[in-house]
Amino acid sequence: MHPILENRQRLAIYLMAWMPIGAIFTVILKRGMSASWPEVILVAVPMAFLYAFMCLSAWYVCLAAPMTQSVLRLVTTLSAASLLSSGAWFALGEVLVLSIEPWVDLPGLSDRYETQFPAIFLNGVMLFLLAAAAHYLLITLDRSRIVEKRSLELQVLAREAELKALRAQIDPHFLFNSLNSISALTVSDPQGARSMCLLLADFLRTSLALGAKQQIPVAEELRLVESFLSIEKIRYGKRLSVTRSVDPECDACLVPPLLIQPLVENAIRHGIAPLVEGGAVRLDVHREGQAIEILLENPVDPFGHAAQAGAGLGLENVRLRLAKLFSGQAHVNVSRSEGQFQVRLRFPCIKLGEIQ
Amino acid sequence: MKPLRIVIADDEDLARSLVSEYLKDSLDLEIVAECRNGFEAVKAVTDLKPDLLLLDIQMPRLDGFEVLDLVGRETNVIFITAYDQYAIRAFDVHAVDYLLKPFSAERLTEALDRARKKIDRGESTAPAALAADARPPGTKPDRILIRDGGDVHVLPMVKVDYVEAQDDYVCYRVEGKRYLKQQTLADVETALDSARFVRIHRSYILNIDRLAKLELYAKDSHSAILRDGTRLPVSRSGYSRLNAMIG
Repeated sequence: MHPILENRQRLAIYLMAWMPIGAIFTVILKRGMSASWPEVILVAVPMAFLYAFMCLSAWYVCLAAPMTQSVLRLVTTLSAASLLSSGAWFALGEVLVLSIEPWVDLPGLSDRYETQFPAIFLNGVMLFLLAAAAHYLLITLDRSRIVEKRSLELQVLAREAELKALRAQIDPHFLFNSLNSISALTVSDPQGARSMCLLLADFLRTSLALGAKQQIPVAEELRLVESFLSIEKIRYGKRLSVTRSVDPECDACLVPPLLIQPLVENAIRHGIAPLVEGGAVRLDVHREGQAIEILLENPVDPFGHAAQAGAGLGLENVRLRLAKLFSGQAHVNVSRSEGQFQVRLRFPCIKLGEIQ
Repeated sequence: MKPLRIVIADDEDLARSLVSEYLKDSLDLEIVAECRNGFEAVKAVTDLKPDLLLLDIQMPRLDGFEVLDLVGRETNVIFITAYDQYAIRAFDVHAVDYLLKPFSAERLTEALDRARKKIDRGESTAPAALAADARPPGTKPDRILIRDGGDVHVLPMVKVDYVEAQDDYVCYRVEGKRYLKQQTLADVETALDSARFVRIHRSYILNIDRLAKLELYAKDSHSAILRDGTRLPVSRSGYSRLNAMIG
């Protein structure tokens, strides 16, 4: 589609730009033809209007001779096109003048018009070249805008994919260690092996299903957490205990899926697993007025490794996702004191059907 | 044939029970200890001098690499891991055998056979280089482990004032105490975080945070005065390294 004709706003601007051009053309013609204002306006204004539209054809010339081509080809194409269109314009002007001559009783109008051939022709060529330049500019502009838009789209897509990957990621450590536990149980405790298989299948299925959603009620996320914990309890045995208190008032509050489960996973992996005797993970979900507060606490080895890069990345992910959903109204606090690590999430409780 | 004496170290009860179940019918080996964490593993290896250590990487207190670092190169080891990409790459590079959880009884037997051949040939693994390669790129250890008989000292890197070379040992100075470890100063230099530690002399590596001032000592040499008043020699190349760091 033509970049100017397809867009009303652009067409309006284009025609507006032609107004001063038309005015200048009128003045030039008036001097040359030494005609009165009404006479010259009668000729110049329709001609300018006509040429405004004729010059839109410069687009096809620009398409036929893109800037990337050789200068010689560019120059020949453009000069041929401008000479041709200017000649056509002059001829059409002649037709106009001849057709209005008998009507307006202005003798010699066409003769005077013809004397202006050099000025009109030169004007026509210059204006056409100007129009061509404007079209080249528009084409380049549109193209760069498309490129920019595409790269933005790509960025958005990449970001979405990244978030999706982060959401759907199942820790390979967890997966392979669980499989190893099943392998160990098959001989010593076949029933236990079977139930661990079922628990693992349930967990994987649920996390795949939830990962595909945008938001889920807290209750569903907590069910996933429970299914995760029952597997980890088989792996860690007596070393892992869990205390939880969940306010049923929070059940319906919406959260991004796989928000709490990865935090519980971190608490076990970086908190409980490095402790010889293990410890207790505390999960507390309650209401604070309009907000929901999720508190997760785990002991840490005071002599353990200082930096836990994985935990930091997981928390950053949580922070990003909450910020995206609750723009500025979500708080993530992390504190570490006296061998305890604590994560506190606080964000507005929005229930299904309340989303603006 | 003399039975192979084996120590198993894994923090998960089920994982250890799986290995002993796999091995219960083998006559040519003996499980001499089962350890639930890195400390126990170091103690068991020191006390029992087993032929082979089956060592899980992820363990409380000390991880598998730290255990290997502490027990030294006289022990043969087969690592066990669920999923550690960098570690697995390092094992391949250093030709160290490893088992990926979950593994089969056949795979375990194969690893044991290979270990037995290696023991017969008298080969063993170099723990320091292996541990360095197994770490994710760009990270440095944040603590130093020093064995003192049956005890293990865990020294956070930030607390080290300076390290001094002493014959076959290096001496770590931490909060006024001295800890000796059999290591070369060059190994220490590569293991330490180069943003914090700088080699100021053939025999000294300094924690830059401890530096109080530099004094001209002789025509070509300087002295580093630490915050606690300790005076350390600074060589010419050490001086330019120091200057590059302080900027």
